[in-house]
Amino acid sequence: MLELNRVQAFYGTIQALKDVTLTVRSGEIVTLIGANGAGKSTTLMAISSVVAVGGGTIVFEGRDITRLSTDRVVALGITQVPEGRMIFPALTVLENLRMGGYLRRDRAGLRADEEHAFQLFPILKERRKQPGGTLSGGEQQMLAIARALMARPRLLLLDEPSLGLAPMVVEHIFAVIARINTEGTTILLVEQNAQMALQVAHRGYVLETGRVVMSGAAADLLADPKVREAYLGDGT
Amino acid sequence: MLEQQLINGLTLGLIYALIAVGYTMVYGVIQLINFAHGEIYMLGAFFCVTLITAAGLPFYVAMLMAVICCALCGILLDIIAYRPLRRAPRLAALITAIGMSIFLQNLALIIWGSRSKPFPRASLPAYLSEQALVMGQVGLTWLQLFIFAVAIGMMVALFLVIHKTRTGTAMRALAQNRTAAALMGINVNAVISFTFALGSAMGAVAGILVAVYYNTLYPTMGYTAGVKAFAAAVLGGIGSVPGAMVGGVVLGVAEALGAGYVSSLYRDGVAYAVMIAVIVLRPSGILGRAAIDKA
Repeated sequence: MLELNRVQAFYGTIQALKDVTLTVRSGEIVTLIGANGAGKSTTLMAISSVVAVGGGTIVFEGRDITRLSTDRVVALGITQVPEGRMIFPALTVLENLRMGGYLRRDRAGLRADEEHAFQLFPILKERRKQPGGTLSGGEQQMLAIARALMARPRLLLLDEPSLGLAPMVVEHIFAVIARINTEGTTILLVEQNAQMALQVAHRGYVLETGRVVMSGAAADLLADPKVREAYLGDGT
Repeated sequence: MLEQQLINGLTLGLIYALIAVGYTMVYGVIQLINFAHGEIYMLGAFFCVTLITAAGLPFYVAMLMAVICCALCGILLDIIAYRPLRRAPRLAALITAIGMSIFLQNLALIIWGSRSKPFPRASLPAYLSEQALVMGQVGLTWLQLFIFAVAIGMMVALFLVIHKTRTGTAMRALAQNRTAAALMGINVNAVISFTFALGSAMGAVAGILVAVYYNTLYPTMGYTAGVKAFAAAVLGGIGSVPGAMVGGVVLGVAEALGAGYVSSLYRDGVAYAVMIAVIVLRPSGILGRAAIDKA
């Protein structure tokens, strides 16, 4: 479904991505783990065309999307829940959701998807007339995910959904991620919380200073001594 | 006397408000003070008069067409001058804005000459110059009522566009977080163009109303009006549309009262004094929302 082939990206003169090659197949949850600054978020931003790709190609469903604009990428079916959630603070919860469905014109479908979002996260229904900025961190994360789903993406990019959230909320968010996937959305998940990510994912890639250094089935990575030591806190 | 000054101030203030929303909306979406906005206002007046005198169109038709032309000019201004600088430091775009202001002013000087022109009053509906209401010494002309109606009508329409339409909501989203807006599938450049069109249309209406009100138009008329309206936008809280409206009215009334009670020589002085006072006491402006919009 999605193929990154030797992708490079730069912030000014600093090379954030040196060689990222990875594949996401339809129906999967694939996770990208790695330390801070390894290039996980940059990879997602490169896919969404927010960060310009300096070399290599990104192919989505057989189509080269490397140089498309961000809104074109979204139109093709790739939506991102960015790190830090990026809720529109002065728009109401409902307006935030409507912005998620910005490219869609089917009113009936949008209405139905709003209801579906409120089913996934009932608290959002209660807060639908409140400005997004007044929500708690966990609620904002829920809103960010619900908003992204309003576009009916075929591929959902999730950047650090657990960041800064209480363990209970993290459990809830990950349960919803699994549910979204079983309902048919392919997911590429970036996480610092490698334990949680590898538990929910089918396959994983390990990123180190802008390169993919390891990949495999999530269960294998979870059992790998090197991964355990570096990312799962099994100190020696 | 006081009532008369208030009416005059309100008329002027509504016009400032119409111009100020253009500054504030553009600032909201691309953090640029579009100094060429005053020239769009001036072009509105000249387009309207040219359409009346050269093409022989009736006033209302000429006004509508001039407004549409100015909306297109606003879009072109952004595409030609500002879009190439979107990723450049802000100062580069700011200097370009000043450059475009000078350029447009001089272009108008070449096309229409430097002498100020009267507004072709024959084209105006006759009732506009009559008194609508006289109470003792206070008079209100139909023209003033027309200005009130048009300005308030435009503001209400603008409010509805910003708050009730899909593109308007996208504009607010863009102002709050550009990256997130793009990630929603919003075509950022298209929404910025829309913002310029909307602001320029409002500015053009103001230019036409002023030309009719004072019965004069000249190529440099955008400068003072632009500076005043910019002051009004800052006064209300730059980036806030209701702020620009309130700021415009406050500035207009302050100016009229200053001119009436102190001396007409101090007209601008009083206006700026009010602005300085507000900025000192409340740096984010009357309705500036520093915290929540940027959180």
